[in-house]
Amino acid sequence: MIFHDVVIVGGGLTGLMAAVEAPPGTDVAVISKIYPTRSHSGAAQGGFNAALGDDDSVEDHLFDTVKGGDYLGDQDAIEVLCSEGPEVIRQLERMGVPWSRTPDGRPAQRSLGGAGFPRACYAADISGHVVLHTLYERALAAGVRIYPEWHLVELLVEDGALAGLLVYDLATGRLEVVRCRVALLATGGYGRIFRKTTNGHANTGDGTAIAYRAGAVLADMEFVQFHPTTLCGTNILISEAARGEGGYLFNAVGERFMARYAPQKMELAPRDVVSRSIFQEIKEGRGLGNGYVHLDLTHLGVDKITRRLPQVNDLARIYAAVDPTQAPIPIEPAQHYSMGGIRVNLSCETNIPGLLAAGETANVSVHGANRLGGNSLLETVVFGRRAGRHMLKAADHSSPPRSSLELALARWQAIFSAGKPQEPGDDSASAIRDAMSRTMTDKVGVFRTGEELREAVEEIAALRRRYGALRVPAGEHPFNYQLIEHLELGCLLELSEVTAGAAYRRTESRGAHYRMDHPLRDDANWLHHTLVRRGGAGPVYEAGPVSITRFQPETRGY
Amino acid sequence: MRLTLNINRFDPQTDNKPYGREYTVDWEQHETVLDLLLKTRREDPSLAFRRSCRSSICGSCAMLIADRSQLACHTLVREVAGDGGSLCIKPLPGFRQLKDLVVEMDPFFDALKRVLPWVITVPQHNGLVSQEDSERIEPPATCILCGVCDAEVRQSGSVTPAALVKNVRLAVDPRDALGINRMKITGLTEEGLQTFRELLASVCPKGIKLPPVALE
Ligand SMILES: Cc1cc2nc3c(=O)[nH]c(=O)nc-3n(C[C@H](O)[C@H](O)[C@H](O)COP(=O)(O)OP(=O)(O)OC[C@H]3O[C@@H](n4cnc5c(N)ncnc54)[C@H](O)[C@@H]3O)c2cc1C
Ligand code: SF4
Ligand code: FES
Repeated sequence: MIFHDVVIVGGGLTGLMAAVEAPPGTDVAVISKIYPTRSHSGAAQGGFNAALGDDDSVEDHLFDTVKGGDYLGDQDAIEVLCSEGPEVIRQLERMGVPWSRTPDGRPAQRSLGGAGFPRACYAADISGHVVLHTLYERALAAGVRIYPEWHLVELLVEDGALAGLLVYDLATGRLEVVRCRVALLATGGYGRIFRKTTNGHANTGDGTAIAYRAGAVLADMEFVQFHPTTLCGTNILISEAARGEGGYLFNAVGERFMARYAPQKMELAPRDVVSRSIFQEIKEGRGLGNGYVHLDLTHLGVDKITRRLPQVNDLARIYAAVDPTQAPIPIEPAQHYSMGGIRVNLSCETNIPGLLAAGETANVSVHGANRLGGNSLLETVVFGRRAGRHMLKAADHSSPPRSSLELALARWQAIFSAGKPQEPGDDSASAIRDAMSRTMTDKVGVFRTGEELREAVEEIAALRRRYGALRVPAGEHPFNYQLIEHLELGCLLELSEVTAGAAYRRTESRGAHYRMDHPLRDDANWLHHTLVRRGGAGPVYEAGPVSITRFQPETRGY
Repeated sequence: MRLTLNINRFDPQTDNKPYGREYTVDWEQHETVLDLLLKTRREDPSLAFRRSCRSSICGSCAMLIADRSQLACHTLVREVAGDGGSLCIKPLPGFRQLKDLVVEMDPFFDALKRVLPWVITVPQHNGLVSQEDSERIEPPATCILCGVCDAEVRQSGSVTPAALVKNVRLAVDPRDALGINRMKITGLTEEGLQTFRELLASVCPKGIKLPPVALE
């Protein structure tokens, strides 16, 4: 048995920020299923929002975020996000983040969607990458103990409080019990429930699903962000920075069609608005090929593209065979961000004593019904820092795991088929996963209807039954990726079920959740969070209040 | 189109030594080697390899593809498939094979520690960095720690290739207290550094071009 005072699961921006911000002398360990620098935070391109500019203000950032989230965001949490933002950015500066600079040497800022000012601090278009590596460097400097390629399997909860973690060590192939005084989940999003997603392979929502199984409350799972500009086919992201730097969207007849939907903000309207507009164009016959539109950067010139958007330049060439300095890029919307997650308070505490959560895996509801570009990276460092500083105070004097461990070990044994070989024609994890992700993209996407959502709920339930019969051949072997994929699929199915279920329940349209059968926002009945708990017979939903402090809901136009 | 993949396999629990195993896969014009590996794993779920971002930014998928160390997700099949429609994939050379295409990465990450791989911030630094300096920092800061340079470049100095890249990134940072003094521990001559710069630009999947940096 391994013991650390503080155990952080996840080595992305959230987890590493928490690790370096834990009070000096704290015994901190980071467990991560991939090496920390491989975390998906590193793929973030656009930037970190913070009201640093002379014309900008925390108040404006707050308002843009509240409005961007269609008034579902908790304004107390958004206040924390926006007011701590500038300070955290200055702290990252001192840690050595190589920001791009203004002529007078300050961190440069660019416009992203839904913002009133150029507010996103960036480093070319590898903003997430440089901050992830800087925090990894700080974690090394601070002597944080890192367990790379350790995969969280279960949380052990004894008498309602966290008692330990069950973890599979890929290199040895062994199961380990890890004990701690307090644990933080910083396991990222679950975009992989969708077939079309910008998220990397590791974004399977493990922490969210495992916490849910252990009794944690999830919130707002129906709110899923679809990014307007992803490469047609692979869905690799082309950052909003491309539009922030001045890129245009064109339909098949050469119109800048955003003029029809968001005459003021045009291409820089929030993502939910732009994604719906693209699909509307395609639906009305103004799409190209088998359903895409063009993102045109050619007028920006070679110099701007190679300096400010080097990664976009590279991605378009390799993955779409397009030279963006010469030709428009074919793009389509795809899943991008999970607004839903483990419900936490302003100190990142879940409803399970001893368990905290932060970052994309959590829902402190700073994004409400739709996240603005640049706010998620900010959330990782602001709330990662809060979690790191607060963790020891949240430590719980729990008993060692007993019955929870026995049950977990029995479940673990049941995963394996004990030598029975796989037959051709047997059901497989990849077949179930394909069906799941297709259902989610086809029926729980940008445009939703009650009928399709009901079908999705039923289809996912059927897939869960199939999954229940599936076994993994090899046992506790090193680098058993078949086992990993099996575990991940279980998490994905769990989260698909509540995403589809919550979307079916919410009979209104708000932010990223658009119901064609209920096209209007309905504050009278739905200005509340969807909370969900795992009951014996499936998810149990209820309503939770929204914190509204400064801004009363208004109609949202751009 | 159809292709024969020859993948170097090794399972420490059952095999005495690595062996090549052939798979036949269909591929399309736009696909990467990582796409082929993912398809292969659908047929043979026991195949082990690492991947995360699939967009050349996380550094997980470095391996030996057609005799060259490169990222599977950054290598288009059409550029490496041999005339006879075959392709050979092995683990990253110079790294210990743990299972199939998974190699031991701990020594690689540990080697970074030799250069104190973090900015030792000058206490009274005002947080301003000129555009010129930031443009010098950016290329080496693009490093994704994939290990390709360690696999491909025989380095004469006393630090490993990726650690040297990190060291240069820190040496040109005006916020760093050691700054240019960092170059002393590399034990490199001007020519050595120039040779490394050229080699790196030719092997690094991110095409990193090291900025000019003085050696004393
Ligand atoms: C392509 C892309 C571009 C983006 N660009 C921007 C942007 O410009 N601005 C912005 O604000 N936001 C952006 N976002 C969103 C933002 O990057 C993410 O929300 C954020 O980085 C999530 O960070 P995180 O630390 O919560 O999780 P991640 O970085 O995803 O890290 C999750 C960590 O958890 C670990 N983990 C997961 N499961 C387990 C398990 N079972 N056991 C052990 N460890 C586990 C993983 O190993 C990993 O280390 C972008 C997202 C994508 C996909
Ligand atoms: S310098 Fe290039 S080849 Fe070497 S580890 Fe970094 S990205 Fe990989
Ligand atoms: S999978 Fe990330 S670099 Fe290839």
